Amino acid sequence: MRFTVLRAAFGFLPTTGSVLALLALVGAGPALAQGPAAGSWREEVRRLRDMPKARPGSAPSGARPMGAAVAAATVAETEPNDSVRTADSVALGDRATGVVNPAGDVDTWFVDLTAGQFVSMDVDAAASGSPLDATLVLFAPDGRTVVASNDDFDGSDSRISYRVPTGGRYFVMISAFGRIAGGPELRYAIDFGTVVCAAAGTEQEPNDSPGTATPVSIGRSGSGEICAGDANPAGDVDYWAFTAEAGTTLELDVDAAALGLLVDPILSLYASDGVTQLAFNDDGDGVDPRLRYPIPATGTYYAAVAAGAEPSGNPFPYTLHVRFLPPGPGDPTTVRAAGLGFPLGLAVGSTGDVFVGDVAGNRVMRIAGQGAGAVTTFAAGIQLPLGLAFDAFGNLLVVSFDGVVYRVTPEGQATRFITDAVFPFWIAVAPDGRIWLTDVSDRSLRRYSPTGEFETRFDAIAIGGSGPGPLVIGPAGEPYFSNGTEIWKLVDGRLERVFGDGFLIWAFAFDVAGQIYAPMPTAGRLKLFDATGTVVSDPFAVGVEAPQVVAFGRDGTGATVARLFATDPTAGRLIEVNPAGVAHAGHPVGFVPPPLFTAEVAAASLLGADGLTAADLQYLDAVGNRNGRYDVGDLQAYLRTLGGLPSAAASPGRPGSDR
Amino acid sequence: MSHARWIFAMAAALSVAAGCSDDPTGGPTGGGAQAGTVILRLTTPYADDGAVLFEVSGPPIDSAVAVNGSLRLFTRRAGGSTIVGVVVGVVTGGAVVTLHVPDVGAAAGYTARVLEVADRQDALRSSLTGYALTVAP
Repeated sequence: MRFTVLRAAFGFLPTTGSVLALLALVGAGPALAQGPAAGSWREEVRRLRDMPKARPGSAPSGARPMGAAVAAATVAETEPNDSVRTADSVALGDRATGVVNPAGDVDTWFVDLTAGQFVSMDVDAAASGSPLDATLVLFAPDGRTVVASNDDFDGSDSRISYRVPTGGRYFVMISAFGRIAGGPELRYAIDFGTVVCAAAGTEQEPNDSPGTATPVSIGRSGSGEICAGDANPAGDVDYWAFTAEAGTTLELDVDAAALGLLVDPILSLYASDGVTQLAFNDDGDGVDPRLRYPIPATGTYYAAVAAGAEPSGNPFPYTLHVRFLPPGPGDPTTVRAAGLGFPLGLAVGSTGDVFVGDVAGNRVMRIAGQGAGAVTTFAAGIQLPLGLAFDAFGNLLVVSFDGVVYRVTPEGQATRFITDAVFPFWIAVAPDGRIWLTDVSDRSLRRYSPTGEFETRFDAIAIGGSGPGPLVIGPAGEPYFSNGTEIWKLVDGRLERVFGDGFLIWAFAFDVAGQIYAPMPTAGRLKLFDATGTVVSDPFAVGVEAPQVVAFGRDGTGATVARLFATDPTAGRLIEVNPAGVAHAGHPVGFVPPPLFTAEVAAASLLGADGLTAADLQYLDAVGNRNGRYDVGDLQAYLRTLGGLPSAAASPGRPGSDR
Repeated sequence: MSHARWIFAMAAALSVAAGCSDDPTGGPTGGGAQAGTVILRLTTPYADDGAVLFEVSGPPIDSAVAVNGSLRLFTRRAGGSTIVGVVVGVVTGGAVVTLHVPDVGAAAGYTARVLEVADRQDALRSSLTGYALTVAP
């Protein structure tokens, strides 16, 4: 089941990749990362896929008691071949063909290998139209010890590349994933050969050290292949050299998994001495790495690309983008808290303290001093906290990956609160105190009373993508949510698309002018849009590795202010963008209690008297025309709510208003 | 100090202390002046004004009231010779506020201007072009 898959992916891999995968795995996922800029990437994959394996041209010597295979031949399976004792024989260079049939079928092949060979067993099934989702396992000559396995490499087609430590007869088993499916249409082929590390891209092998690095210029890209060939059997490392100027922000961005290959490259930046590691990244853009670094001194720097998992395993192509990042109005950013594990969800309390959910630590952290003070654990033991929001009573609501929304008191005591959603993901509280959830199990929005009673649900499958995902309440009190690369809203029960962008949009925030600050983790920056989706600033800020959730700060009265925080999970930190670049205060978030002041006090404030707090003024604006400041229209609206308008003028507000 | 000057000083002090109310303003009484009322008149290009924020400066003003029951008025003194006010309701062109003044003969000395206007759906007018306020007996 998809839910099971999600839980497994998230539970075992609480990384950026798995978090991003969450949206991707739900429904028809969008392209989570930047697509390959041109056909070159696809062509590289195609080249890798179609590259002929080395064919020895002759069968290994020695007896082949279970039937000899002809080298460089196509060998069809002969059932039964479900075990090592009944395995079919192939030789390097052969193509084995068969059918996973009936359900649960396992086909076993054996091949005689020589120590030191770098062999490849490459499944071709889905790529040829077969519905088989293959799993491939390689056994040692004892027939029991698993030495390598692979589920998905090229899409759902498996591949194993393996450096043979000891010569002998090895066994390969192929089955459908989970050993459940089977049928006459589940055909496959396995190409047995040796891995050939061919010249690929613009890299100039050998480039395994700073001294042999391939040059690349800022603003350009280099491409190559990570391949643990005979020259580097323990694993390939490609070094690239470039010159960067002091004061600039460098971005190194690797595309490899973005091609559709299930690989996990890593990336390092080295100083001019080629030894001092300045930065490292594994999963900055899905499972592809990306890193930023402010260049302290003009000089030569080195980027190194390698395989993060199974360095002597399957070869894969990649492209390294070397860029200078121009700053946005929100730069430079300031790190407000670090060492937060994997901070994802973000909420700001009524006194301005900032709360973040640490997915890696199963806890909620509190950053006092309006985001600039001490960091303490606020609540522990909440499995994989996702969305955070404050309810109408000052409790922090925390969506957990275990399917429960927890209510955490101001003292940090957590209790199960909402338990009837299958897979709640994100949460927001409307000005009226009602609680909104997105449920990715059935792709719906669910609404609850301020005290947690279920009220209704809205089917959101129609929005497509991976939505509904991250959720916020908009200026007029309606829920806005991301489907991956688009923002939608729910108005009077109808789904309306607001705008879309080419990048993944996570948990965004509104300012009082209706502008939308959007964190784009796969793009590695924040963007600012106006209310219609027109880009106002791109980038708004680049001083964030992979911003996931943004929220405006609040002052001691609870009023939102022109300070914007963002969680940066891959770096384990909370950052604040440059407040000088934040033009407006944030739109008030969460429950807005009705104020207790008279019409005379409200009017006096408009006429210049003191007496109302910033939060009161935000409330008055929210009651009225929501233009970001308290004005004469807001006073009129407030008088209407109090019944204080002359009767001739006491008609309802604007048509379609929610008042 | 003459009697008239004491009265003037007391009235000024009271006016400074005055806050927001529907009967907010007090002012000095000049010797030989004729107290009475003057009218604040609005010129507007729209027929759906719902609230107008305004400012009146010039000679003293004792108090202000809305000209009819379809309007609600709030005022506040902003300095010795200036009041700011907001009138809310069915605002139409013509007389909107009655000012009680100590010297109706000084009516020509008042200046008034519109600061903000909202329509009856609470939306702020983006432009005040076409709006004007005059003070006359």
